[in-house]
Amino acid sequence: MIDRVLEGARGKVDAADALWRREEQTAVAFESGRLKAAGISEEAGLNLRVLAAGRMGVAGTTAAAPDANELVARARASAALGEIVELAFPKGSGSPLPPIPTFFDRTANASLDDLIRMGRLLVERLARPDCQINVAVEREIADTAVGNTAGARGEYRATGIAVTADVTRIAGDDVLMVYDQYVGADMPSDADLEALVRSVETRLTAALKIVAPPDGALPVVFTPAGLAAVVLPLEQALSGKTVLQGSSPLAGKVGETLFDARLSIVDDPLTPGRPASRPVDDECVPSRATGLVERGVVGRFVYDLETAARAKTQSTGNGRRGVFGKPHIGYTNVVFRMTDGTHAGSESHALGGGLIADMDDGLIVDDLIGVGQGNVISGAFSHPVGLAYRVQRGEVTGRVKDAAVAGNAYDLLKRIGGFGTDGRWLGSRWSPSMRLEGVSVARR
Amino acid sequence: MRDRLAAAVKQSRAAYTEIRVERTWSSAVAFRGRRLETATVSEDQGGFVRVLNKGCGWGIASFTSLDALPAMVTRANELSRAVRLDDPIRLAETPPESGDAVLELDGDVRGIALSDKKRLLDRYNSALLAVSDKIVDTQASYRDEVSEVWYVNSEGTSLYQLRPEIVVSGTAIARRNGSIEKGLESIGLRKGWNSVQAFDHQFRVVAQRAVDLLEAPRVRGGAYPVILDNELAGVFIHEAFGHLSEADFVYENPQAREMMTLGRRFGKAVLNVGDNGAAPGLRGTLPYDDEGTPTQDTPLIKEGILVGRLHSRETAAKLGERPTGNARAISFRHPPIVRMTNTYIAPGKQGVGFNDLISDIKLGVYACGAFGGQTMLENFSFTAGWGYMIRDGKVAELVKDVVLAGNLFQTLDRIDHIAGDFTWNQMGGGCGKGGQFPLPVTEGAPHVRIEEALVGGDV
Repeated sequence: MIDRVLEGARGKVDAADALWRREEQTAVAFESGRLKAAGISEEAGLNLRVLAAGRMGVAGTTAAAPDANELVARARASAALGEIVELAFPKGSGSPLPPIPTFFDRTANASLDDLIRMGRLLVERLARPDCQINVAVEREIADTAVGNTAGARGEYRATGIAVTADVTRIAGDDVLMVYDQYVGADMPSDADLEALVRSVETRLTAALKIVAPPDGALPVVFTPAGLAAVVLPLEQALSGKTVLQGSSPLAGKVGETLFDARLSIVDDPLTPGRPASRPVDDECVPSRATGLVERGVVGRFVYDLETAARAKTQSTGNGRRGVFGKPHIGYTNVVFRMTDGTHAGSESHALGGGLIADMDDGLIVDDLIGVGQGNVISGAFSHPVGLAYRVQRGEVTGRVKDAAVAGNAYDLLKRIGGFGTDGRWLGSRWSPSMRLEGVSVARR
Repeated sequence: MRDRLAAAVKQSRAAYTEIRVERTWSSAVAFRGRRLETATVSEDQGGFVRVLNKGCGWGIASFTSLDALPAMVTRANELSRAVRLDDPIRLAETPPESGDAVLELDGDVRGIALSDKKRLLDRYNSALLAVSDKIVDTQASYRDEVSEVWYVNSEGTSLYQLRPEIVVSGTAIARRNGSIEKGLESIGLRKGWNSVQAFDHQFRVVAQRAVDLLEAPRVRGGAYPVILDNELAGVFIHEAFGHLSEADFVYENPQAREMMTLGRRFGKAVLNVGDNGAAPGLRGTLPYDDEGTPTQDTPLIKEGILVGRLHSRETAAKLGERPTGNARAISFRHPPIVRMTNTYIAPGKQGVGFNDLISDIKLGVYACGAFGGQTMLENFSFTAGWGYMIRDGKVAELVKDVVLAGNLFQTLDRIDHIAGDFTWNQMGGGCGKGGQFPLPVTEGAPHVRIEEALVGGDV
């Protein structure tokens, strides 16, 4: 498919690259503990980018048998309005792409009954008389092909599976929602499902008692899920695009120590077993890891081909594209590591990741409401708590409601109070809990 | 197309079958700073099949290759039969509907050259950039679409709908040393080219505000009397209450049903709330929902009392209520689920204005514009674009980072004054639920006063 379209573009444009992707998804959904629906979806699409008279244009289609001429014509019309970009597509090198397993037979071969069985097992394990349990199991098989007129080609098959458990407990006017998810390229092991059940139960049990929130500038442990508000500004600021646009607070700070010296952050598309891992990005750039922050020092920004060309640097292999629109920068697996030699692996299942023993009064924040909706890039955040616990004299005393936390990610990450021993994957991010000091907590 | 779908429905061996096919023509232009990002024209198409059998659950198939339609009907039937259910799924009765529902295109975007669309957005983007040299970056986007939707089910409903949509939005990013602020303008309409020609002033205003916010202090956290402007009041009612009124939250959950019992008091007598998918010309407006049910104006809160909720055919049957035309899907890739359309707080007494709301507030916050909102049902957050302190009954200094924390049972009940200055806020963006985002919705409200609400921030 790719070859036919690239061949069709030859002679009509200066250069072109294309991505073709076919995805097949099977999903089962349990609602309030009952299996309610089973579904499949099949989708294929092609995205073409051309350079014509130095200008860039794109076109996409989900047509089953795309008309190459029509697609090229549409991409050229787009290029006629486009900007001049000095873009060089990667050449076919002949050397093999980095080896990374993306396709797992067990996932691909799982039958509908297998998926139903897994969902049912979770529903049974999580059942509590006072709770409603929703479980969804989604399996995906995707074929990707990328190529360009400079001769580079990349092709791979990938599998992914997501198992989501959602528990809602309503008691009078109190609504408690606890959620967790297993995401992987390979099927979850029994231990993975057990960890999911334990994670939901731990947080649910500790939440049954409601206590008054504290207020003031306090130590707060952000769990891997709760960290989203703190991490999001960094992810935006470390994008080569925001740097180019002059809106990144980290622009011009490469090599400066802006964060706690124990903090390192890596974007790693070659992590085994993760659905975001792949041998090559969506623009034919071979995958490799990028050190975003190294021991507190701002490292590299992530780039796709276009932003790299404009910034006069190399793509970091973070090009991502859908069927419609042009390629853009996307992270793969973002890994938060502490680098003072202490192991921060998945050792602890207790709330707080072992960071609360010496905490006199503070919070554990597991979920905030409205993350991503403020002035994210500035680093400032302010959110009501979705799920948070009070810590008093080193113990979790109960769940707090009607409280809001605020701070600035850049200030808070300068001095990290501690890294938990509960590191885990959450979607495509790996991190332990982190204790941050002096977070503003307001209450009604 | 309708004949093709009717034939496929007829061949289905399932007890109930529905097919939705969509063909969407769209074009998009985007600027980032002074550079054009893209200018593209796209066509997307695909189908969705959903079937139900006695004693079984839903079988669902979505696909981009329409040639696969008959095979997908068979596949959906197999999937349904794999889902055994003791308590069967029932669908509330609706009379079969048939016909064409063609919404007013107001300047068919398919007939306008892409270069004209680029020129229009360039003008708005330049308006943002021209405000100050402190505007270091912008994100401006134009997107239009005309979507053709065919819907046929085995109960005799056969519909063709033509749905236009157009969204123009711009974010201005202002920077001075380390501080960065943004201003956002967004216009979303279920209309066409003619409706988005005169917004230059609005774009300049938001860019200037981003610059002004650079000098503004962060709001101090704490509990305040809060006045919401029309836009934020709309987002507020969507998040605070709208999602709770979606019946899929309560229909299989006895505790939730008890919490949301019709007749329960949720607010003072000044509060009237509804959802109106039939209001003419708004972004959430549709003649029929994605189950072929006609849309309507559904009262949700009347004089403070819960009187209704939003339904699909399945949730209505389960609760013994009537479908309201709120089963919506963002595209053929998804099943219809219970969603809002155009949700509103009805205006208070005519003639009651903003000044009547603030005159007796000694210290409070006037929260304006909306960057967004999110709910966890009982608790929710809504983020203002900017705000002002209210001091001694007067609007005082500009403040930034105004995020409000709400609680369904406390915050709604603390609404004590509602102005008469109702407006619909036709923003772009949309609502997200169950992995379906962005769904076009509209919110409408007058100025609203909350006696006391929690504002996050440094304490």
